[in-house]
Order: sequence, then structure tokens, then C-alpha cells
Amino acid sequence: MSKINLTVLTPDKTLLAEAAVDSLVLPAYEGELGVLPGHAPLVAQLKEGIVKYRIDGKEDYIAVFWGFAYINSNKAVILTEIGELIKEINEERARQEYQRAKDAINMKGADLDLDSAQASLKKAVVRMKLAQIKKSRNI
Amino acid sequence: MASLRDIRKHIQSIKSIKQITYAMKMVAAARIKRAQTSILSARPYAIEMEKAISMLKCEMLEDDFKNSSSYKFFQSPNPAGDIGLVLITSDKGLCGAFNASLLKKAVAFIKANNSSRIHIITVGKKGRDFLRRIKNANIEFYYEIFGIFPKVNYTHSNLVAENIIKMYSEKKLSRVYLIHNDFKSMVAQELKEEIFLPLGERFDKKCQTETAVDFYFEPSKEKLLESLIERHIKSQIYRILLESQAAELSARMNAMENASKNAGELMDGLTLKMNKTRQAMITTELNEIVSGAGALQE
Repeated sequence: MSKINLTVLTPDKTLLAEAAVDSLVLPAYEGELGVLPGHAPLVAQLKEGIVKYRIDGKEDYIAVFWGFAYINSNKAVILTEIGELIKEINEERARQEYQRAKDAINMKGADLDLDSAQASLKKAVVRMKLAQIKKSRNI
Repeated sequence: MASLRDIRKHIQSIKSIKQITYAMKMVAAARIKRAQTSILSARPYAIEMEKAISMLKCEMLEDDFKNSSSYKFFQSPNPAGDIGLVLITSDKGLCGAFNASLLKKAVAFIKANNSSRIHIITVGKKGRDFLRRIKNANIEFYYEIFGIFPKVNYTHSNLVAENIIKMYSEKKLSRVYLIHNDFKSMVAQELKEEIFLPLGERFDKKCQTETAVDFYFEPSKEKLLESLIERHIKSQIYRILLESQAAELSARMNAMENASKNAGELMDGLTLKMNKTRQAMITTELNEIVSGAGALQE
């Protein structure tokens, strides 16, 4: 069976270099997007969410916060500004972050930057979701 | 003639200076390794980004491209407008001619573009302090950032890039120039003055080869290009900041190595002088004793 060559890049490091994956799910801008080998050429913007991929039947995850993917003849490249492997996720920290962002929005202080508060809220939600998965799978 | 004690003191102080310069050299040498690795690990992202943009641009129809909001980044809407300058220096000195050559270039640039107003963004303390002292120049400070070296990360470049974009669109600039040092090798830096915005011809050439594939886009090409361009600018700035950081460290390493070497030579010279003085003193003393004894015998 053919596989997809998946590369995940952030500005400061390479998270995944040409890993041969069986399938791939992207958090695309307009909903989740599944990719199997032989997918049509595609360019998609990603929003914050979880990239799921399958290597030898084993699922693995990467959290991305804004990104961009292009797929061409079984080669997939994901460019993301912030990307985190599942082993880098810390549940406690994510929860604190969530609380902080939520508090900031609720307090409506004078110097509240609503956009950035909402962005960090979204990030925290993704991290917590991934932490949940981590816990349930015992990775 | 200096007394023995003076020379000893002099040697001692040179010795401690040498220790400091040597330590600074070692610190720079240790950091430069990390700086080099971060340049290398930032490279794939920038390369893929550039590929993606040139591909997107080629996929778009000429008219669509001209009407899209990202067109202004490729071709300035106001070619007669003011110009911008981004000067990237270091925060600290003691790195040889690293800053001096940058500042010289900046002054030459300001002189050459005297006719139009120059909006300036500085990165690093040295450039800021120097440009603030210039009088009678047609310049205006837009933004400054310092204290980011030697630990540049993507958030810093985000800030710089956002301000460059803001300056470019707010002040309706015709061009934004960038003066910075590139890391060439451990012993050489390359001073660069380049047009940073608009991106212009940089993406013009590669079109024909990549148009063969029929891509499916989500969301529209225009939207994709718009968000990509901004990211591209950020990753470019990130690369440049990393280069400048590595160049600064290598410049400092060389400067400090030379300083240590000079201190060693100075010490050798002084030690020789000290020994000569000491011997001269002993000779005089002996002479005095012998002639004193001779006088007693008579």
C-alpha cells in the first residue's frame, strides 16, 4: 500500500520529517479534512486543532495553531507557526492557561486585548483536548 | 624609567583583562553553535513557505492577483511615497567592526536618500542610540526593539515583522530597505543592504515550471495568499534576525580572540622589560657592593 510522506515544519524546528503515514486528518479552515494516499493536489489553510496521523496502524497527534498544508502526489507538507507533539503537552499547564484566558475575557479590563485572549483560549482548548487523548491512550 | 613595581602592576592588570576577553571569546564560541543550529532548523520552513507562495501566485490569474489585497506586497501602490529603513544592529559592543560598518552604511543610506522622508525601525540598542544622535536628517522613528539578542525567537520576529507591515501600509511607503549583517562563516560577516518590501521580482521568475498540477484550494486562493504573505514576511525576518545574531557572535568571537592575543603579546613585552630592569638593578647593587668593598680595602 502506498503511503503519504508527511513533513511538519515550524519556524524554529522540524517536528516531523518525511514520515511515511497511512492516513492523515487535518483541522482545515472549513472543517476536518481526511487525507489518504492518492489524494488530489490540495492547498488548505488550517485553523487551531489537532493533526491526526497513522503510522503502521498506530495513531499519533500534533497540535497546530494556525497552519497551512499542501498535498501533492503523496507528499504532504504542513507549515505551522506553533506546533506541539503530544508528548510536549502538559495538562495542568493547559488548564491554567484556559482559566487565565477565561478570566481575562470575563473581567473585561481596560487593557483587554480580546483577540489575543480569545486566541490563547482557543489554544488552551486544543491543548486540553490533546491532553485528554493522551490520558485515555496512556501515551 | 618605570620601577619594577609599576611594571608588575601593569602586567597584572593586562593579565586580568586577558582573562575577561578570553572568557568572552569562549562564551561567544559556545553560543555561536546554538545560533548556527537555529539558522539551520529555520531553513526548511522558509524554503517550503517560499515554494508555496510562488506556486500560489502562479496559480492565480493575472487580474485576480492584481485585485487581491496581497498585491500591495508585490508592487507598491504608491511608488512616489516615502521610504522605510530597517536597521539591525546588536545591543552590546565589543564585537569589532560589526556595528560600525552597519552604522556607516546607514548614514550613507540616509545621505543618499535625502530627498524623501525615511521612516526607521531599529533592532538593537547600538543602532537606536546612534541614529537618535543624528541631527538635521529627514528621518522619523517608527518602532524600536532591543534586548532580544542572543536569544531571538519567533515572537520577536513576529513583533518586528508586524511593525514593518504596519509601517509599510500606514505610511504608504514605496519601499522598505533592510540593512543587516549576514552570517557567512565563523570568520566573516557580510554586510547587506536589500529591498525588503515590496517583494516584487523575487517571485516572478519561477512560474512556468510549477503550473502543471491542478490544485484544489481551501479557502480561496486570494485568502490563502493573503495569510501566507504575512507569514512569509515573518519567517524572512526571523531568518534575518538569526543570521544577524550568529554574525554578531562570530564577530565578537574574533574580536575577543584578537584582544586576547594582543594582551598576550603586551604581557611578553612587559615581562622582558621587567626582567631587564630587575637585572639592571642587581648589577647596580653588585657594583655598589664591590666598589664599597674595594674602598674599604684601600
